[in-house]
Amino acid sequence: MPCLTCFHCGKNIPADQQGLTVQIKGNTQVVCSALCRESARWIFKIGLDGFYQRGTTTRSNNLFQSEQALWGNPELLQHVIRALPRGQSEVCVLVDDIRCNGCVLLIERTLTGIPGVVQAQVNALTRRARIVFDANKVTLADLIEVLNDVGHQARPLDAAVLNDARREESRTLLKQLVVAAFGAMQGMMFAFIIYFGPAEEMNNATLDLFRWLGFLVASPVVLYSGQAFFKGALRGLRARQVNMDVPIALAVGIIYIASLYQAIQGAGEVYFDSISMLIFFLLSGRFIEMRARHRAIDHSEALAQLMPNFVERRNSEGDFEKISVTQLKTEDIIRISEGGHIPADGILLSTHAQIDESLLSGESQTQFKKTGDSLISGSLVLGSPVEIRVTHCGDDTFLATLSHLANRAQTQRPRLALLGQKAAARFVKYVLGLSALTSVLWFFVDPDTALQASLAVLVVACPCAFALAVPAAITRSLGVLAARGILVIHPDAIEKLATFDYVIFDKTGTLTLPQISVKNIYSSLDKEQALQIAASLAQQSSHPLSKALVCANKSPYLAAENIEVETGKGLKGVIDNRLYYLGRADFASELFTKSGLLDKNLPDLVLSSGDTVIASFQIDEQLREDARATVAALQKNNIPCEILSGDAQNRVGEVAGILGIEQWQARFLPADKLSRIKDLQAQGRRVLVVGDGSNDAPILAGADVSVALASGTDLAQAQADIVLCSERLFSLIEARDTAKQTLKILMQNQRWALTYNISAMPLAALGLVAPWLAAIGMSTSSLVVVLNALRIGKDTEKQNKKITQGKIPGAKIQPTDLHALRTAQRTSL
Amino acid sequence: MNIIIVMIPLSFLILIGALIAFFWAVNHDQFEDMDSPALLPMSDCADNESEQKVDS
Repeated sequence: MPCLTCFHCGKNIPADQQGLTVQIKGNTQVVCSALCRESARWIFKIGLDGFYQRGTTTRSNNLFQSEQALWGNPELLQHVIRALPRGQSEVCVLVDDIRCNGCVLLIERTLTGIPGVVQAQVNALTRRARIVFDANKVTLADLIEVLNDVGHQARPLDAAVLNDARREESRTLLKQLVVAAFGAMQGMMFAFIIYFGPAEEMNNATLDLFRWLGFLVASPVVLYSGQAFFKGALRGLRARQVNMDVPIALAVGIIYIASLYQAIQGAGEVYFDSISMLIFFLLSGRFIEMRARHRAIDHSEALAQLMPNFVERRNSEGDFEKISVTQLKTEDIIRISEGGHIPADGILLSTHAQIDESLLSGESQTQFKKTGDSLISGSLVLGSPVEIRVTHCGDDTFLATLSHLANRAQTQRPRLALLGQKAAARFVKYVLGLSALTSVLWFFVDPDTALQASLAVLVVACPCAFALAVPAAITRSLGVLAARGILVIHPDAIEKLATFDYVIFDKTGTLTLPQISVKNIYSSLDKEQALQIAASLAQQSSHPLSKALVCANKSPYLAAENIEVETGKGLKGVIDNRLYYLGRADFASELFTKSGLLDKNLPDLVLSSGDTVIASFQIDEQLREDARATVAALQKNNIPCEILSGDAQNRVGEVAGILGIEQWQARFLPADKLSRIKDLQAQGRRVLVVGDGSNDAPILAGADVSVALASGTDLAQAQADIVLCSERLFSLIEARDTAKQTLKILMQNQRWALTYNISAMPLAALGLVAPWLAAIGMSTSSLVVVLNALRIGKDTEKQNKKITQGKIPGAKIQPTDLHALRTAQRTSL
Repeated sequence: MNIIIVMIPLSFLILIGALIAFFWAVNHDQFEDMDSPALLPMSDCADNESEQKVDS
């Protein structure tokens, strides 16, 4: 019986419990329990596939243990702790290795079990724990130590993330939404009685009662739930702009006051139910939009790679002491151990260094640096520890400049045409003019009908359907896209997504997988076994090749001892009392040197013990499996593709050849890429850029529409308009189809709303439309808009299923959107 | 018909009660994390495990 390990938690599965499996991306994976099965499904569903690779990367545990004590430093604590009343403190920590909901429960229980901890909340999605504790009874260092003890490394985040603005926003909106829903339901009930009540039993006093009841339930809706619209309208008017909130606020305000006037008069019609419903409709749209936006931020932050909190600096006695990165100054000499990020730009003092700059320059090969070479912040130290002299720190570093550049490029982006809003603003002016005209004319003909008729005009022509036309289509398509693992961060992007006609791809991490995969294994042993030994050794190193081995390995790790890393060559270590060598061919075995094979096709990695070569590994970058289909689909639609990469000529050329892309450029710096995009834009092209590394951030911001893959760095994601969470490149095509459909339906909606309003207004102005009919007309027109918006995603769903058969449909992130829209429809009936 | 004199205030009382309950729930973080709690019932073994670790 082969020894099986659980795909999710990595434990061995006892023979009598085997048989549970889970389908992940078309592969069957073995799991140990129903819990692990659900956890694995869930992780893939929300698009955090990278989790399984991430979890296996090793990090020096000692580094964390020595840092732990430093969290006692009061100066540093100021940055991460927020003081609450009654002597309590609040901190937000990023917890590593949250693998399942079991972990969430474990961490929450562990933390709340500590005396002095008042509250602990863990969010599995964002990997964050929010802890409220009594600083007199327990310290942050204690909390981190306890988390380390239960197997989770914790890193306090800057206190800025504790900002309540977002939490407050979602709470307020949720409350306003529910108040509006309650008010709309009750209001409709009372209005129903006024319209259809048993006429013989309804004297004027009863009608009066129901009018006032309507006022009673509509008031909280208008005054509490409708606040946002009034505030927005005021903001707009102060800036001398007629934004979308102005017509809504005007309509709501006028109808509310007019209805109140009617109620005081004790005659005529009231429209309290209509305004409650209008507010409820609009708020549901806003709520869904807000959730999608927050979700996107969570996602990019959950994947954020943090800059180091601490750095080792040489003091005057020549010893190294740990200080916070914020205390770093130029000319300081700092040491960075293997696997650490370089916190500031500097000059290398050590004789040599291996640096991974793939996140910054797109260069996938390890860089070898000599004394005097400059190193840039944000790059990763591989191999042995390095010492550098700091030349730039803080805001002057390369990384900071890069993000600054990105910010500037973003502000230069032309704003999306505000056509819809302008049309609505014009529209509202006409409506106001017409109802004023109606009341004036009726005043001369029949003063009793004047207010009735002008109110009917306002209700019939209330820009409700028109105001909903854009948000309904946009929110629906945001939901549809999110359900397929496509997060749209700027809603403007949908419009541009439908119209782009040129695509620029980055190579490393975009067209090719960020993990370098083990292509071929030649071994005298069982392949799996050879990989197991090699990965157990490689686990201790952060070299890209080691990572590739660790990722490829599916077996449990063996205990490796006495591991020594020889920089630039490989490593050796003892497993089961046997000494193994793993590394370059000439390092691992003399056989290669002797046999004269050195010049020929050397394997990238060799595993040996004594004189025998146990296995050799051929390693290569792997093309994303759907890259070819994506490029082909784009080219079929007459959209030219181009690759701009910072990588070497031959590697880029090879990828371009396979994909059939004729235009490609290698060794391109961010500035080159940006000017290329500007050139294309000058030619009238609307350019879409797909990127991954943070060197893409300025380019992503300069493009007409930008797409980042979720495995990229936080910086790139923050600048991108769209994030592909499922890491399927093909979702780009799905996104384009959905965006095209969205625009089509959006136009239909606007046209319908306009047609309805224009044809109904004259009838209302002539006093031919009964008020209840006007209210029904307004609701129906909104309903049609919402129903039409729900069609988005229906056609493309079928179409794309055919193309992506056998793969899991992307992450389903927003099951609520459909529900909320459906609830909205039900309420309106 | 006069029954509405009782029924309407009663419906308002229920409505206000529901609103108070909902506001309480929102203020007590019941809507903060809509993802994690959905999975917690699946973890029948997690209870025992975590308590053991807490004890140790």
